Amino acid sequence: MQTGIVFDIREFSIHDGPNLRTTVFLKGCPLRCAWCHNPEGLSPQPQVIDTPSGTRTSGQPYTSAELARLLNRQAGLLRAGQGGVTFSGGEPLLQAAFVAEVLDQLDRLHVVLDTSGFGDEASFHGLAERVDLVYFDLKLMDPAMHRRCTGQDNRIVLRNLDQLAGLATPCVIRVPLVPGVTDTEDNLAAIARAAAGVPHLVRVDLLTYNRAAGGKYAACGMEFHPQWDESQAVRANTAVFEAAGLPVTVH
Amino acid sequence: MMNLRLQAMRRRVRDHEHAVRRQPVAPDVLRECEEQHLSWPRRAARLVRRMCEAEVPLIEAEDRIVFTRTVPKVPPIYSPQQWRELTAGRTLHELGPISNICADWGMVLSQGLLGRREVAQAARRRLSDDSAAMEFLAAALETIDAVLGLARRYAEAALAAGRAELAEILQRVPARPPRTFHEALQSLRLLHAAVWLGGHYHVGLGRFDQYMWPYLDADLRARRLDEARAEELLAEFFISLNRDSDLYPGVQQGDNGQSLMLGGATRDGASGVNPLTAMALRVARDVAMIDPKINLRISKDTDLELLALAAELTAQGLGFPQYSNDDVVIPALVAHGYDLEDARDYTVAACWEFIVAGKGMEVVNIGAVSMPAAVDVAIRAGLAAGAGFEAILDRAEAEMGRQLEAVVSRYRRLLLPPAPYYSVLMDGCLESGRDLSQGLKYSNFGVHGACSASAADALAAVRKTVFVDRSVAPAELIQAMDANFAGHDSLRRALLDAPKVGNHDDQADDMLVALFDRFASACEAAGDNGRGGIVRPGSGSAMYYVWLAAGHPGMCEPVTGTTADGRRAAEYFSANLAPSPGVRVRGPLSVLQSFSKLDYRRVCNGGPITLELSDALFGDVEALRKVALLVRSFAASGCQQLQLNTINVAKLQEAKRHPGRHRNLIVRVWGWSGYFCELEEPYQDHVIARHAFGM
Repeated sequence: MQTGIVFDIREFSIHDGPNLRTTVFLKGCPLRCAWCHNPEGLSPQPQVIDTPSGTRTSGQPYTSAELARLLNRQAGLLRAGQGGVTFSGGEPLLQAAFVAEVLDQLDRLHVVLDTSGFGDEASFHGLAERVDLVYFDLKLMDPAMHRRCTGQDNRIVLRNLDQLAGLATPCVIRVPLVPGVTDTEDNLAAIARAAAGVPHLVRVDLLTYNRAAGGKYAACGMEFHPQWDESQAVRANTAVFEAAGLPVTVH
Repeated sequence: MMNLRLQAMRRRVRDHEHAVRRQPVAPDVLRECEEQHLSWPRRAARLVRRMCEAEVPLIEAEDRIVFTRTVPKVPPIYSPQQWRELTAGRTLHELGPISNICADWGMVLSQGLLGRREVAQAARRRLSDDSAAMEFLAAALETIDAVLGLARRYAEAALAAGRAELAEILQRVPARPPRTFHEALQSLRLLHAAVWLGGHYHVGLGRFDQYMWPYLDADLRARRLDEARAEELLAEFFISLNRDSDLYPGVQQGDNGQSLMLGGATRDGASGVNPLTAMALRVARDVAMIDPKINLRISKDTDLELLALAAELTAQGLGFPQYSNDDVVIPALVAHGYDLEDARDYTVAACWEFIVAGKGMEVVNIGAVSMPAAVDVAIRAGLAAGAGFEAILDRAEAEMGRQLEAVVSRYRRLLLPPAPYYSVLMDGCLESGRDLSQGLKYSNFGVHGACSASAADALAAVRKTVFVDRSVAPAELIQAMDANFAGHDSLRRALLDAPKVGNHDDQADDMLVALFDRFASACEAAGDNGRGGIVRPGSGSAMYYVWLAAGHPGMCEPVTGTTADGRRAAEYFSANLAPSPGVRVRGPLSVLQSFSKLDYRRVCNGGPITLELSDALFGDVEALRKVALLVRSFAASGCQQLQLNTINVAKLQEAKRHPGRHRNLIVRVWGWSGYFCELEEPYQDHVIARHAFGM
């Protein structure tokens, strides 16, 4: 049986999928996005977090059966709320085998996979094909910029987007808007072109930069160094998506 | 909807501009009562009459629904000496006068006071050889005429102020049945306000959308009124309920029991939701004042759109609506002897206690059983005696039974003063010639099972540390508690780390279930309450989350110091059904699941699950729908009652520092909403310390 490392399970999570949901945050992420607001999710290992209200260990091992049992116990409530479960992170693709085993054991629950798209192609295909909805991040279309801001190449992300386009699973493309970094006209236009090639696209979500992004770094023993002007308003340019005929929302 | 006229009206009421018209002295009623050697019922009636007569009509240029109280104080009808003799050996409920019940407003509106007068006259002819009945009916007639006289003087004042249209309405109601929605609202305003003139308080408004809809419906059909104008009238009515509420007695300012119920099943079991249900929610949202306190009856099938509208009130931070689950409440009331039709017709008393309007002379808050105290006594005595865990539970039950008997035995000597005017508004009093205080169809008592989460947590902690893990020796635990945990940090940590209610963890929740089960058994064992009713166990705390921890002058319930859940002495408990303060919980679903395990068929006096949401949640466009779905899942979970509050801790702290800048900030306290800055500090601090669920 697979064991996964989970750093949070949050009920009534508002931003992580349709209707009433519980979100499982899987620990570990291959990207190092400069604007990441959840540094707890970066390291794949459990770690001690030093918060103002005391220290605690972030990252708890669960067997797939334990996690499935925990989620299934809420199945009645989640179904009454027309919702389900979201696997987020960190990056769930890093623990794809574990997630797949949990999916095997879930009791008729709607599942969202919330992914950066960066991960092993077979893992992505395997999960994306099985879930009910994929939340897929597109951050930067320019390869150099992507490398600079996330530490990784975006070719893998784009290949997985191609795979997603070939699947029947509906998806939402999510774009974090960071002032002067991702919210440029060029980048958003390129994202709109890529999104237009995905047949089961439900909509594009523009996620405005959260000025509290750096809040958790100190607790994780890390430093936050934004390379952009945090006080600058983001440009939630919905027009480029609307022009491409894509439904778009701003959060 | 809140146009400039309504906004100005709301501001004037909040500023209490009308308070300058308040008269410094109340009428002297006592003297004539003594001179004429009046009986108690006649004194009660004379009080209503003189209070009505002393009122100086106030017609403000803008107001279309009038009545403003100008006599703040209710004078005595007995001298202190006579009062002591009259009540010697008896128990008065709180301040004495009948409170915390609900009139049959629909019946009174539809008959008008002249209709009620005819009923009283017919009873006089029928019961002429029953002197007690004749005395009561004479008193009731005196109050009817007094309220009619007050309305007449208001009509004259309206005419003198050049308000012919208003005068016409006041000439019509409350004497006769209303012909329009406007007349119905004006009639209700006067009938309701007059109850307070007799010294009654916590006067509920009942199932407003059920009894008011026919009047509005007729207006809409006849095109006498459109929806916008109807909303404006309703807004005026709601604002008017805030004019005098600072004069109403309560534990804290805002605790005034002006509860209003919406939605739910009809008496024949169909859905009672009508267009006024949503209209009242919209208007309460826009008026955004603490009165009336909105309650919404729902089931697992309630329309999501209605729930989303209700969530808009929550998002605004009004602390209402409070939700009651028909699927759970109605069977529970039937199981406690209520007729099915009456059970379907339930409303709530001041906070959450389920009652039937017009048919209940119930005292739903005779006191509290302190679950932490019962458990504390049981743990200390049990451990000292080397008892096993089951024996500790048995001791806790015995202790709850002892506390209950102390409260109930006092109330077996309950003395309810006659209430001739309130009787006019109830079913069957005039018809039978019997005052409300003699009892109605339902005469039950209710007791709060207070601060249950902490008590269950204490049991769970003792079971785990002392009996299962054997990591803590009994004597060590007692010693640590006696020292309020000073120097016992690691032991306290072990207690804090034990399972806690609110995480859907059976190790703690089983204790909660056992406590309520045993509390319910104790209530059943109490038998007849001395008035032909039973004692209903409830799950609310009222103000006991502060009182049982910190003490309160005159309180009969025991104060509890350090508890075995790791709580230090004097730290407050959680309000109603909520995880203990400081307990880490996964989220609202786990909280609902913990509390869904209670057998609400046996625990039916009400008492809501109390959840705080962070206002940051509502930055998201989907938040309202998600709150609506949370409420629906509450209904599906089989829980009984839910109140949601939206808070912003930073704003509350700022409001504490600068009350002047935040005078309109509203919070839910225990079963009602009040202005944060008008609360005493312990209640402010408790709200700030509650765990708010974020995103």
